[in-house]
Amino acid sequence: MEKIIKAYSNLMKRNLDKPELVKFLIKIGLEVAKLWVDYVGDKDAPESLRYLNSICFKFILEPLRDPNNSAFVNLLAPTEILHSMDIYPLFIEAYSSFISGFYCENAFIDKATAEGISDTLCSYHKTFLGALELSILPKLKFAVTSSILCDGNSNTFRYIANRYKIPYYIIDIPYGYSEESVRYVVNQLKEMISIVEAITQKRFDIDRLREIIRLENRTKGYIRSYLESLKNHTMPNSISLEMYKLFVTHPYMGREETFRFFKILADDVIKYPDSGYRIFWIHIMPYFSYPIQRYLNFNKDFKLIGCDLNFDYLEDMDERKPLEAIARKLMLNVNNGNFKRKIDNIKKLIIDLKVDGVIHFCQWGCKQSFGGFMLLKKEIEKMGIPFLAIDGDAVDRRNNPEEQINTRLSAFFEVLTERGKRW
Amino acid sequence: MVGYVCKYTPYLVIESLGEKTVRIEPKISSYEMSNSLTHPNICSYAKLVLEEILKKKTDKIILTNCCDSIRRLYDILEALPFIKFLHIIDLPKKRDQKGRFLFKNEIIKLIKRYKEFSGKNLDIGNLRDLLNNLSPSIEKRNEKLNLVIIGGRCKESIIEIVEEFGGNILYNLTCTGNRPPYRPIGINEDPIEAYANILLDSYPCMRMDDTKERLDIFTQDKRIDGVIYHTVKFCDLYSYEYADIKDKIDIPLLKLETDYTDTSEGQIRTRVQAFIESLKEKAKKDIQPKSTRKDLIVAGIDSGSTSTNAVIIDANRRILGFSIIPTGAKSIESAYRALEEALKTSGIKMEDLSYIVATGYGRISIHFANLEVTEITCHAKGAFFLNKDIRTIIDVGGQDSKVIKIDKDGNIIDFVMNDKCSAGTGRFLENMSRVLEIPVDRMGKESLDWKEDLEISSMCTVFAESEVISLIAKNKDRKDIIRAIHKSIVKRIISFIERINGEPRYIMTGGVAKNIGVVRCLEEKLGEKVIVPDEPQIVGALGSALIGLEKLEGLTICV
Ligand code: SF4
Ligand code: SF4
Ligand code: SF4
Repeated sequence: MEKIIKAYSNLMKRNLDKPELVKFLIKIGLEVAKLWVDYVGDKDAPESLRYLNSICFKFILEPLRDPNNSAFVNLLAPTEILHSMDIYPLFIEAYSSFISGFYCENAFIDKATAEGISDTLCSYHKTFLGALELSILPKLKFAVTSSILCDGNSNTFRYIANRYKIPYYIIDIPYGYSEESVRYVVNQLKEMISIVEAITQKRFDIDRLREIIRLENRTKGYIRSYLESLKNHTMPNSISLEMYKLFVTHPYMGREETFRFFKILADDVIKYPDSGYRIFWIHIMPYFSYPIQRYLNFNKDFKLIGCDLNFDYLEDMDERKPLEAIARKLMLNVNNGNFKRKIDNIKKLIIDLKVDGVIHFCQWGCKQSFGGFMLLKKEIEKMGIPFLAIDGDAVDRRNNPEEQINTRLSAFFEVLTERGKRW
Repeated sequence: MVGYVCKYTPYLVIESLGEKTVRIEPKISSYEMSNSLTHPNICSYAKLVLEEILKKKTDKIILTNCCDSIRRLYDILEALPFIKFLHIIDLPKKRDQKGRFLFKNEIIKLIKRYKEFSGKNLDIGNLRDLLNNLSPSIEKRNEKLNLVIIGGRCKESIIEIVEEFGGNILYNLTCTGNRPPYRPIGINEDPIEAYANILLDSYPCMRMDDTKERLDIFTQDKRIDGVIYHTVKFCDLYSYEYADIKDKIDIPLLKLETDYTDTSEGQIRTRVQAFIESLKEKAKKDIQPKSTRKDLIVAGIDSGSTSTNAVIIDANRRILGFSIIPTGAKSIESAYRALEEALKTSGIKMEDLSYIVATGYGRISIHFANLEVTEITCHAKGAFFLNKDIRTIIDVGGQDSKVIKIDKDGNIIDFVMNDKCSAGTGRFLENMSRVLEIPVDRMGKESLDWKEDLEISSMCTVFAESEVISLIAKNKDRKDIIRAIHKSIVKRIISFIERINGEPRYIMTGGVAKNIGVVRCLEEKLGEKVIVPDEPQIVGALGSALIGLEKLEGLTICV
């Protein structure tokens, strides 16, 4: 399988001067991958996770198939509004991951840095910008991002929009939460809606948005029940699948498919007994890393229990005031504001999920996360939980020192087994 | 004393509360304590601020919600026990009515917090006076070269270097830049609201939503001779703007990246000086030769980090002799020895020399030279002298590598240099020669009959070294490993060439040009022949001697 993908990757790389062809190859590659996922798929994965895999391909293909009815977004954009207007989001982190899945990230990244983009920028952004510079990135109708999660967002979106001459809107999320700042955000959401209406000639319907939010709340009910069950069960999991959950916990929250996924997931989890050491992951994962796969993919002894990014806001939303609810959701995301909010959330999850060991991934260029990892480390070690930080890159294989990661992981798991289960 | 970092900080309200303020400008050369509190790869400036705060025990600090690094700095500072007052201002990205309202309230919040902390009251009349006393900033105008410095936070020393070499900073659009355009505040106006507006009306930084104003100056102000684009290591905010404008504006542009420590000052000096030299060269008028003396003899000395080279020429631009010696601990001593040897080979006595020009890394310390010129200008001069068809000069020396692009008259159009990292330099080859246990000068030949096409993917020397070690462990043939090393150096060089849109013909100079393996890989990648002069190491020294001669002939007004 890997050989085939690599050959396909070489075909793409040889034709970088023919952007239309590469664009086509990316789409076809993803279409074929979807078929593979639907009909063959990961035999080790539970039904719910296989379904997840399938819908993620569906989600990524939608904007590629219908660019005129689609928008660029970041992980924390108010996509509920887009769903309510039947506009497909393409979130840049996913696009870059798939490019890396095609083993093409190096060529894209090199192009971006040759154009002057900083090589210390996070590779999710560099890959995306490389696609733009190579004219391989599809030209979507517009771009919407929030300012939270990382600095790259507003700058990458502005850059892309200026280059493609498409409208873009940055939703500036204040650092601190207050009623006044909620109004500031709501105001921007309204402005964004009117811009989107003008570009797409579609009408925004607040009742439709209410329906989306109602579905989102029902979905969150299943997430909470899944979390509850995780206390006494551990599911087979892999680092790729855990990363795929970012699709459904973020941009595609509020979609029917997402609702269905969490419903089956909540049913699935109780089928499995509790076993093995519970490993909790912080931040994203280099899904291609062999040593990490070896330790965490469908491993019987070490169970990947979850990733903090998938549990960053689980509150119900007030459907009567949908825009306020979205504003609050963005502002109260644990990744906004003081880092303590993120630490507290992780500590709570560690206790709730009876975690035995924590791995923090320091993604190259992700200052928002690794800037605070020493604070986090201190707090987690205070709880008596082993903590491992690894440096690497979840997109650019060249920045992911496999040997080093292997050694550190081995040592970490030795320590863990030495100590025995924590709970 | 309250320390702050951002130009949007309303520091005058603190002054009106009776406390002095200072913008934190770290003067530190290494990170000692900060690395135990955060990850080494957060923005270098933010890390140095942390270092400075720890060192000086600054206990009152105001930050803004500027970027990821500063937000995390806030979180780290919050956990430090000696800090008494710490505040973060929620700076809006939008400058519309709502944003202004929010920002005004942020100022009020700051006042309230500081009042509670200090027990002092705000003297609103005093605030009005302070604001009114800041006279409108007057634009400097003079006959010098007018430069714009733009980009991320810029150290004071860079501005000093620009001024030292005769540049005039017309605009400073970095975080330490132009003061906002203060305007008088009427008796009935609310000074706090006015202050919020004044701050938000200054040239927006890249963190703001609408940044168009920044680039308008390039189309509107015709006085600008050159642009210095500065970025801070591990700050990515500004590279977008650089990538955007580098091909858009038609003004010579120098890209500088610093890590904000004092250690890179030598490099910065060279680059800024070379840039200003090239701007002056461009402005050069047709000047008739002043002197036609035939007995002029000029020496050029290139004091590099690994070798010191000297060249002696006469008025007919004939090379009389030259020398190449390893650089010792003191660059002035090596320079003197190189000069003596070159004189010996040319049979000329020291007292017969009309003029000495020094270039290279150590040029500043060669006091006996009559003139110092950067190696950029000298390489361009020397290479163009050797062959008028040359448009791109690739110089790879022991510790630095540079690529220079020149036009048909030999004028510098653009150039790039490596930063502190040694990837793609002779140093890297030397390290690898040690790992592979083969003398450096044999690597080139050995690599020529390679069999297997191996790849070293990492550009970083540390990672690359571990890749080489794992190739050795896999029992790969040494020839093939060496070639992979050459390819990785070439990859770096190519990225430089691409950055300045290099064009044929190419010349390669510097010690690494003697490595035939690197040259072959480079030719393969470029699809072009690369000229390598007989003595690739003396091109810089030759260029500096030529500049000396021109100076005596009155041809060059540049220096
Ligand atoms: S990994 Fe970090 S820097 Fe990269 S896109 Fe995600 S949040 Fe941003
Ligand atoms: S980038 Fe902007 S917000 Fe940040 S320190 Fe500079 S001026 Fe202040
Ligand atoms: S230099 Fe860049 S990353 Fe550093 S504090 Fe300033 S804006 Fe932030």
